[in-house]
Amino acid sequence: MAMDSGAGEQSHRAHRSRQSGASAKKKAKDKNKNQNSDQKQQNPKAFAFRSNAKAKRLQSRTVEKEQRRLHLPVMDRSYGEPPPFVVVVQGPPQVGKSLLIKTLVKHYTKHNLPEVRGPITIVSGKQRRLQFVECPNDINGMIDAAKFADLALLLIDGSYGFEMETFEFLNILQVHGFPKVMGVLTHLDKFKDVKKLKKTKQRLKHRFWTEIYDGAKLFYLSGLIHGKYPKREIHNLARFISVMKFPPLSWRTSHPYILVDRFEDVTPPERVQMNNKCDRNVTLYGYLRGCNMKKGTKVHIAGVGDFSLAGVTGLSDPCPLPSAAKKKGLRDKEKLFYAPMSGLGDLLYDKDAVYININDHFVQYSKVDEMEGTTHKGNKWDVGEALVKSLQNIKNPIDEKLEKSKISLFSQNPKLIRDIEPLERHQSDGEEDDNEFDEESADSDLDDSKSSDQDEGGNFDEGNADASVLEQVEFHSGRKRRKAIFSDGVDHSNLKGTDDELEDDEDDDDKDEDDGSNDGTESCSGSEFLDSDNDDLKSDEDGMGNISKWRASLVERSSKKQNINLMQLVYGKSASASNASANEVQDDSENEESDEDDFFKPKGQREKSLKEGLDGGNINTEDCSKSTNFSSLKNWKDEEVYESVRDRFTTGDWSKGALRDRMPEARTEEEDDMVGDFEDLEVGEKFGSHKEDDSSNGGIQKEDDDAIEERRLKKLALRSKFDAHYDGSEAPEEETDKQHGGKFHRSQENDSGYYDKLKEEIELQKQINIAELEDLDETTRLEIEGFRTGMYLRLEVHDVPFEMIEYFDPCHPILVGGIGLGEDNVGYMQTRLKRHRWHKKVLKTRDPIIVSIGWRRYQTTPVYAIEDQNGRHRMLKYTPEHMHCLAMFWGPLAPPKTGVLAVQNLSNNQASFRVIATAYILEFNHAARIVKKIKLVGHPCKIFKKTALVKDMFTSDLEVARFEGAAIRTVSGIRGQVKKAAKEEIGNRPKKKGGQPREGIARCTFEDRILMSDIVFLRAWTQVEVPQFYNPLTTSLQPREKTWQGMKTVAELRREHNLAVPVNKDSLYKPIERKPRKFNPLVIPKALQADLPFESKPKNIPHRKRPLLEDRRAVVMEPHERKVHALVQHLQLIRNDKMKKRKLKEEQKRKEVETERAKDEQVLRKRRREERQERYREQDKLKKKMRRHAEG
Amino acid sequence: MGKITYTKLKGSQNMRQRLLLATLKSTPILIEDIHADDTLPGLRPHEISLLHLFEKLTDDCVVEINETGTKLKYKPGIIVGGSNMVHDCGLTRAIGYFLEPLILLGLFSRKPLAIILKGITNDSKDPSVDTFRSTTFPMLKHFGVPSEGLKLEIKSRGVSPHGGGEVHLSIPNVQQLTATMWTDEGMVKRIRGEAFTTRVSPQLGNEMIYAARGIFNSLLPDVYIASDYRKRLETGSGNSPGYGISLVAETTSGCCISADTTISYTRGEEAEDIEGEDKKEMIPAADVGERIASVLLEEIEKGGVVDSTHQGLLFLLCALCPKDVSKVRVGKLSPYGIETLRQIKDLLDVQFVIKPDPSTGTVILKCWGSGMKNLSRKTT
Repeated sequence: MAMDSGAGEQSHRAHRSRQSGASAKKKAKDKNKNQNSDQKQQNPKAFAFRSNAKAKRLQSRTVEKEQRRLHLPVMDRSYGEPPPFVVVVQGPPQVGKSLLIKTLVKHYTKHNLPEVRGPITIVSGKQRRLQFVECPNDINGMIDAAKFADLALLLIDGSYGFEMETFEFLNILQVHGFPKVMGVLTHLDKFKDVKKLKKTKQRLKHRFWTEIYDGAKLFYLSGLIHGKYPKREIHNLARFISVMKFPPLSWRTSHPYILVDRFEDVTPPERVQMNNKCDRNVTLYGYLRGCNMKKGTKVHIAGVGDFSLAGVTGLSDPCPLPSAAKKKGLRDKEKLFYAPMSGLGDLLYDKDAVYININDHFVQYSKVDEMEGTTHKGNKWDVGEALVKSLQNIKNPIDEKLEKSKISLFSQNPKLIRDIEPLERHQSDGEEDDNEFDEESADSDLDDSKSSDQDEGGNFDEGNADASVLEQVEFHSGRKRRKAIFSDGVDHSNLKGTDDELEDDEDDDDKDEDDGSNDGTESCSGSEFLDSDNDDLKSDEDGMGNISKWRASLVERSSKKQNINLMQLVYGKSASASNASANEVQDDSENEESDEDDFFKPKGQREKSLKEGLDGGNINTEDCSKSTNFSSLKNWKDEEVYESVRDRFTTGDWSKGALRDRMPEARTEEEDDMVGDFEDLEVGEKFGSHKEDDSSNGGIQKEDDDAIEERRLKKLALRSKFDAHYDGSEAPEEETDKQHGGKFHRSQENDSGYYDKLKEEIELQKQINIAELEDLDETTRLEIEGFRTGMYLRLEVHDVPFEMIEYFDPCHPILVGGIGLGEDNVGYMQTRLKRHRWHKKVLKTRDPIIVSIGWRRYQTTPVYAIEDQNGRHRMLKYTPEHMHCLAMFWGPLAPPKTGVLAVQNLSNNQASFRVIATAYILEFNHAARIVKKIKLVGHPCKIFKKTALVKDMFTSDLEVARFEGAAIRTVSGIRGQVKKAAKEEIGNRPKKKGGQPREGIARCTFEDRILMSDIVFLRAWTQVEVPQFYNPLTTSLQPREKTWQGMKTVAELRREHNLAVPVNKDSLYKPIERKPRKFNPLVIPKALQADLPFESKPKNIPHRKRPLLEDRRAVVMEPHERKVHALVQHLQLIRNDKMKKRKLKEEQKRKEVETERAKDEQVLRKRRREERQERYREQDKLKKKMRRHAEG
Repeated sequence: MGKITYTKLKGSQNMRQRLLLATLKSTPILIEDIHADDTLPGLRPHEISLLHLFEKLTDDCVVEINETGTKLKYKPGIIVGGSNMVHDCGLTRAIGYFLEPLILLGLFSRKPLAIILKGITNDSKDPSVDTFRSTTFPMLKHFGVPSEGLKLEIKSRGVSPHGGGEVHLSIPNVQQLTATMWTDEGMVKRIRGEAFTTRVSPQLGNEMIYAARGIFNSLLPDVYIASDYRKRLETGSGNSPGYGISLVAETTSGCCISADTTISYTRGEEAEDIEGEDKKEMIPAADVGERIASVLLEEIEKGGVVDSTHQGLLFLLCALCPKDVSKVRVGKLSPYGIETLRQIKDLLDVQFVIKPDPSTGTVILKCWGSGMKNLSRKTT
């Protein structure tokens, strides 16, 4: 693992406190203060334990906080060394983005960058590389940038304040899995007033915090010095970047992606000449990020479309990390940077060539590197120098030389090989030569050149033995080398000193002769290289070298063949292999076949099995998982036979049984070769697959091995876990007890909670993966897991529209994202969407919006809906104002929980906020199940008692049939039901008159008789179709400054064509005119009247002309009565008069009081006003004074 | 975008895996030359039944078959699953044929699957339903499938000519499987089994059990073979007479190795009485027990964590894991297993590293999972 090398033992310089200056003074003051307060000890009990309840509350709060901090641990499946982290510099135009990148690059590499175009990769530290990208100023570029950013530097013009771009970008980031964000304030030199500057900073910081989180880092860059930001501030910024950690984001860890930093058109020129607008072939270069990429993956190029890859090649790293050798800081030579789009960087790599680009004044042939050279033995840099020279005045091209070298690999002329080899080495590794293995091999090369042939072999062994200590070294382009692992070599040659190498080799040779299998094991995965050397050696040492050499190579070759045989058998397409295998199987069965049981063998099965075999000849073989062959059963009653499986039972030998189950991890390398027996015809010996019976040392030891292996894995897991958050307080204790260490620890882990257990499991799985993948050779590994993250890849894509080349702009980085399982299919997606609260309007159903999901951006027409109580999805015409709703649209599928961002307007000059909504995917469906209400209206055309024929509701009899049994209602509230389509003779009068029969008349029944004037309603739900429309945004296929134009909204179209919004007249509100209803008098038929009881009969009384008697009669009083009446009248008169007088008086009085009060009131108000004025004046004065105090 | 690109395949071989993998990966496939040269060209009844089953389980899947039935276009839909489904598997193949893809389909469906399958429960070609219960379900546990909700009830047994069996299957759905390192085959600690008879004398069952025990007795004392005798229709016998046995060897490390067979009249034999008739009659129950015990011992001898019948399923499960390394050990690769490996490579783009372990005669397979996730499961 490259990760943990040197991370632990890195020593940091201790902090040196300031001895002088402002901060030192301040510190001293603080100290004094502290001491003073200590002496006083104002309240010694202040922090003592006081309240039980409070303590409890505090504790629960801390626990809660801790729990809230936890996330579900995510497995990081990137195993190689990490790709450079992408730092996206974003901000509104003219805020200083390019300048910041330039200054940072200058800080890291001491180079002046003339222009920022495309990604710029630099080595920022021993363990870290960075890739700077400037975010383009349009929304499409921002969306793409947000998808590949590991860290976003948001540049903000301090003198102007926040601009919409920043907030838009923050929203985009949030939707696409929030990477790290840091704000940078620039243009702070425009403030003349210090106080104002301070206030602005404060204000901006708090606004920034509300947007991200409290305490988010906002960096200040104060002004420019010589057209660059101040060195000290940039240094600090670089420090912040260098300590930043980048959490894995779920979308990215499940999809491979590449930020293209080099882009070439590789179309054959003649094709372009023939037709300038032909489809092009392009190559895209960049570091692989996210997760591993397999060869067959389809990719999406943002702004272009989906393509399948025509070829993927891993290239050597153009900007490699410096070696993990212990040293402080970076050497100047290691301050690499790589920016082909900016036209910088010295090396360009390709699949088959390396281009070196050296400025003349950088070339130095002197002994600049002597220091480094002497640290290693020999003066290899002289050779290197010679090589560089030879490279520069090269006569024949590299590929020619390469060919030569290939030819001469097996010949007896080592000179040429050596000549060409270091050259290649140089190519493959570029300027730096930090690869330890390369150094080793270089050493051996040198020694070779010096020493005689005898030494050569020995040296080589030494070198390779060392190499085998190295776990895995990667070799790149130029030359094809394979890993050399010598598991056997340790036993034989390496334990002895270099003194008796010669004897050692002799021994080896002897062994070769004795048993070829041993040799085979040794050279199983050895390189051809070794072979040839060995051969040389042999030919020198023993006379009969020729034969042994031949045999050795045969042994080796056959063993190799065996090694891949099973894989070939299964996957190989060559007919011969499969035929052979088929034969093998047949042979086996024949051997095993016993004569007696033919019972179960159906006739002709023998032939069938022969035919069906393993070859893919018959394509219609029966699909049968069971392949029991009863014909070839052994006689299990026989003691010998059943004893042979005794060890597979618990009644057998446990140690032998256990032996089977051990992982053949350590032995695979050796024993794989022994699988196949083969016969050496020449010698006539049979090389048996010599199975060493190492059961003698018992299963116990093996068990131990296994336990150790497991413990090792666990340890590794723990270690990396610790590494992952070493800033945590608890440190995992080292297991000292060998026996119980693992278990003990595990139990402890279990105690510390579910979270830790999860973490441990993940870590363990990761270590297992690494361990399993490590012991595969390079090519197989590539096939199994694909290209690893962090690799520099060259992708070849065919048939790309020519516009991509034509309108290619290095300032707009190209993002290539891998498409996951099933993501290239299209379908309906259901999302939970919320309109952005800064967008001023609600969104309308079926208005096209541009969504960004996963890597893609496309335009689609959503239908908004809301889920009703009963699970029905009801269509909405507009999105709710402040609520989530469902949005259903058609497009390429993305897995659930993926974030969705919606924009409508792409143009830059729109002032308002462009993000209209955010959403995430709930599920996808092949059918949209959104419904809306529908109200069918009909009128009765004939009414029977409780049955009526209703017309206008349906258009055909078929439709009526569809709605049989549906509930209907009249306006007056009478409920009913649709029965059937009306028969012709009843409802269709026109037929009788010789016209066409009218269709769509329904017979309905009601609970009561309805009127002809009634209107009948049928309320139902109807399916809403979501348009199957989506339109990928091809922004890379047009000039960048042009705004992409897709489908227009209805409103836009109306505006363009000057059309008014259509108005349904019936929907308008008009003043209601209600005519008074005139009812006719009730007329009761004579016959009925006669039958009615008298009570209910209308009584026809004629109008009287004279009033009634009671009205007409006069009253005459008695004399006494008259007197009393007169008296009462008088008294009443007097009283009335009195009351009137009193009332008048009171009125007068009240008026007087009122006037008095009004007068008083006026006076009072006046006084109050004066008082108030006085008070305010006082207060104002006081305030002013205080302010003056504060300011002073 | 409306154009669908089909992956072209040939022949009816491995239809199950092809359909299954195409459905899981949602890639449309086009199969040509299905039994094109046979006297009866075109899809077999059980293959059509399988297509119906896939159609039932998925939403919006499109199957097109040409007139002769030699060409099949299959555009997969979303796996929905759900309960209250019934499928008649027909009488050409046993239920085991349908169960193998059904299990994986159920794991990756939107809703947990519960289905009633009708047809032949036991036959000699396909693994019997008892084997599924005893061996296949424990196998799933190694890949992180919860054992709750994993159920197979045998309501009635039906054997070959007329079937009449019925099983109730329920499978939970998962978000994703978990990769496994399953190389420890352990030692056989006990042998279990089930012998059944339908519409024949229970004595035959006892004979089978007795004979099978006879073989194991010298090796292991812990052998228990249950009996399941169904004589009348009410007790769940099918429409045809037959008997069979299914044995499982459990090892100390929790691997299950199974062997099973069924003896009954095969299709057509009853009516026409070709040479098979008297031959069938000649197999006594005792011999069946003995043979199947021998087969089991042979499977044990081959080694590996599963028997040869389950190799295909094991490889499929490994390949459908998340992007982690899975490692399993099997005995000699069976032809079906090899075919499965090829299908996995073709359709899922997952390749296995196959290494023989010469000391035990087993094969160790490693793979890097495809990262399959259950995308149709609704998020909450």
